[in-house]
Amino acid sequence: MKKSFLIQFSILLLLIIFTNSGIRSLVTPEKSEAGDGNGIRVDLTEDVSIFDSSPMDLEPRQGGTLVVAVSAEPENLNYYTSTSAAATRFLDYIYEPLLDYNYETWTFERPIIAEEFNISEDGKTFTFKLRENCYWHDGQPLTAIDILFSFKALLNPFVDDAPLRSSYSKVIEAHIEGPYFFSITTSDTYFRNLELLGGLAIMPKHIWDPKGLMDRFSIADLQNPSVTREEASVREFAEAFNTHAQGRPVGDDAEQIIGSGPYKFEKWVTGDYMSLIRNDNYWADNHPYIEGFSDKGAYLDRIVIKSITDPTAMLTALKSGELDFLPRMRAVQYFEQTNTADFVEKFQKVSYVVPAYSYIGWNNDKPYFSDKRVRQAMTMLINLEAFNKYVIYGMGIPTIGPFYIYGDQYNHNIEPWPYDPIRAVELIEEAGWVDTDGDGLRDKDGIPFSFTFSISAGSKNSKYLSLMMKEDLRKVGIEVNIRQLEWSVYVENLRDRQFDVVSLLWIGGLETDPYQIWHSDNIGDRGSNYIGFRNAEADSLLIAAQSEMDKTKRNALYYRFQEILHEEQPYTFMHYQRDPGAYLKEFRGAKWIPIRPGYKFYSWWRAGAVQGAPL
Amino acid sequence: MNQMAPARTYSQIVSSQFKRNRLAVLSLNVIFVLLFIFIFADFLANDKPIVMRYKGETYFPVFREYGVNMLGWNWQDEFKTQQFKILESRYEPGDWAIYPVIPYSPNEYNLEVKLQPPGLVHLFGTDELGRDVLSQMIHGARVSLLVGFVAVAIYVAIGILLGALAGFYGGVIDIIIQRLIEIMITFPRMFLIITIVAVMETQSIINIMIILGLTGWTGVARFTRAEFLKVKNEDYVVAAKALGYKDFRTIFRHVLPNTLTPVLVTATFGVAAAILIESGLSFLGFGAPPEQATWGSLLSSARDMLPSGWWLTTFPGLAIFITVTVYNLVGEGLRDALDPRLKQ
Repeated sequence: MKKSFLIQFSILLLLIIFTNSGIRSLVTPEKSEAGDGNGIRVDLTEDVSIFDSSPMDLEPRQGGTLVVAVSAEPENLNYYTSTSAAATRFLDYIYEPLLDYNYETWTFERPIIAEEFNISEDGKTFTFKLRENCYWHDGQPLTAIDILFSFKALLNPFVDDAPLRSSYSKVIEAHIEGPYFFSITTSDTYFRNLELLGGLAIMPKHIWDPKGLMDRFSIADLQNPSVTREEASVREFAEAFNTHAQGRPVGDDAEQIIGSGPYKFEKWVTGDYMSLIRNDNYWADNHPYIEGFSDKGAYLDRIVIKSITDPTAMLTALKSGELDFLPRMRAVQYFEQTNTADFVEKFQKVSYVVPAYSYIGWNNDKPYFSDKRVRQAMTMLINLEAFNKYVIYGMGIPTIGPFYIYGDQYNHNIEPWPYDPIRAVELIEEAGWVDTDGDGLRDKDGIPFSFTFSISAGSKNSKYLSLMMKEDLRKVGIEVNIRQLEWSVYVENLRDRQFDVVSLLWIGGLETDPYQIWHSDNIGDRGSNYIGFRNAEADSLLIAAQSEMDKTKRNALYYRFQEILHEEQPYTFMHYQRDPGAYLKEFRGAKWIPIRPGYKFYSWWRAGAVQGAPL
Repeated sequence: MNQMAPARTYSQIVSSQFKRNRLAVLSLNVIFVLLFIFIFADFLANDKPIVMRYKGETYFPVFREYGVNMLGWNWQDEFKTQQFKILESRYEPGDWAIYPVIPYSPNEYNLEVKLQPPGLVHLFGTDELGRDVLSQMIHGARVSLLVGFVAVAIYVAIGILLGALAGFYGGVIDIIIQRLIEIMITFPRMFLIITIVAVMETQSIINIMIILGLTGWTGVARFTRAEFLKVKNEDYVVAAKALGYKDFRTIFRHVLPNTLTPVLVTATFGVAAAILIESGLSFLGFGAPPEQATWGSLLSSARDMLPSGWWLTTFPGLAIFITVTVYNLVGEGLRDALDPRLKQ
């Protein structure tokens, strides 16, 4: 026993010494402030243009494999029932919607499956004329029948897609008018309707409903509980849909996912990778695909998406050549560990803004945070500037509200709260929190000011934030207890509103509807307003904005809404994030866009003598 | 006729045997140093002065902290915020303060000096938040040693009790306890611990100590049982029974003292193993809560920082290495010294 211990430890000791001394000599001594070492910084400012980070010295060409890393593996690959972002990002290359963003104007109008569309005068009926040269990966034509089926599957109340379906509750009827004409009607006008209806990924009916179980029902039937409860085939379809083999195609002999997009599904090896291969029969293979972005649907022959959870392992894989593109690394890796001459020569470093902001959420129903003065004080007690500068290496862009900082909805007239601990203490005392019993902790009505900060176990930034807060608030007589939770437990507690303080990231888009997160209807019952923000004026603004189709008027309502949020401070809004990444310089056409995840592989291609090389 | 050597007691024999092993003696001294750090951590690394003269009064802030934490005292009004270093600007002539050797507390952060390599100000450098690594290691030593001792104390107590019952009574009790031991050792220990920790509501060092204690007793129980089987038919035990002593007294006064030595040797190795497991758990993020510095969590947070932050792994790694090694060496020395066959 003792011998094995000694041997183990001698080895450990030697390893520590060797790794440290060995690698250290490779580090270049000087850290350049700008330029090569720190890569390209992509800030898609107000004109939201596309940014190309590779040299444009060569003509794009087809071929090659790209290996990219993601941190999470999806549970399943059913587009409607999966709740993981990893699944959506993967399936976006396989399935396609009717419309998407135009990459030059950033309005939702670029035709994909739909060639043209029309909105009726009352703004409630949307008609789409489909492209006649769209085919599924198995060669079947894509027609209006598939579009109608997709909406039926989505709206089937027994399909396991409640989070997605809730956005479509206003759809009342849909019709097919010939094989390539489709129209859909909603009960109310809503500014995001075109994006929702046109943005739904279309699934093939002949694969998912070969028996035609849904044929008999109209959309109106599916929205009618008395029909869906009576009819057994509604439930039968939903069960088949939820457990369909295409939703979890694991292993070598799995059924291929049939979609219509520029990439075809190749393989999913759980715990290792998922892969895509180029669809040579894509309608845009010889046509321009996205104006100003990509002339083809795909240049790369194959895309391999590896799942690696640990950031250190990811960077090691990139350095060792196992990966070609690492989209997201830790700021400290980007600034401290990728400065070697070798790395900079081989890889292009780039940091790009994505529409996701970090925040600290105060549970407004807890006694400590029910007073807005305390919430304002909390914001002023946290030195966000220092956190941004030193912990995340200046990768954050301070934000005052929930809208995308480079979008039209963001109110730039609001000044962020300053870091001002003295004013903060005054506010806390005004609110009645003073140390009455002399134990060094503030209290009010017998409740000591001692709260729990829940952080997700994997997040180092939250951990550092909580440690800073604990130390800073201790000095003003407030106790912070830090609780580390596994992600699944964390989310569960969030939905049940069992927390004092959380710190998280909301992922948004260019234009968002804040109703789900901020309206008081969504408090409780697992709604997204889990911090319990209640404000009558904000509620009426949110409702009014939803049906306001005039953009300027709508944004005026949202400007006022942001003023209320700023005053109330239900969250401490922290930063919009820049994601730091790196890719092999051999790849060209790496372009950065202001919609998540910030890049699309349609434009990527591989230069050099690797045409069609195997993995 | 041979001259009889002066009679020596058992402990004298053992201690002279032990002293022959130089490495073990050296290790024992290292353990004493660790114990010193364990007890006086607050006086070695702290952001509060040990003694200070402030506006004509003398204060003992470190002692006061013990009072505040354990006896429910309060801080004096002028020290409510416990920011003694800021008070320096308000010093009057004649005011002074004596700080510990390392004038930083483990949680005191200063972002402006983050990731400093070892130097004169921060002997072992600073981490990602600018906290002093040496201070964290000194306070981390407390956690590591406490876990080692308490966990082993718990499992030695359980092991001795169950082993004694099994060995002394035999029969059904023996069979039940033996099967219990077998069930316990079929579970891989680390796996079992991680499973238990994962379902725990809160993270704390006390949980870790209890879990380590509850899962580690099987070896001790087996040793004790075997020793009991060996001793229970000795004359003095039979005599104790014949005198009509209660079983309790027989077991704990007569048999147990004669079976303890091998258990003590395993316990020494056990302390080393427990420290190692705690470090492992903290490294994996299952151990101490985030605000508590332990050697394992220091190593874990340093993992992302290689290769540039070499000091973050080297020093905690060395600390674990040295501690585990010295406990093993002492255990080894103790075992040899207690072994009558090796007596010279």
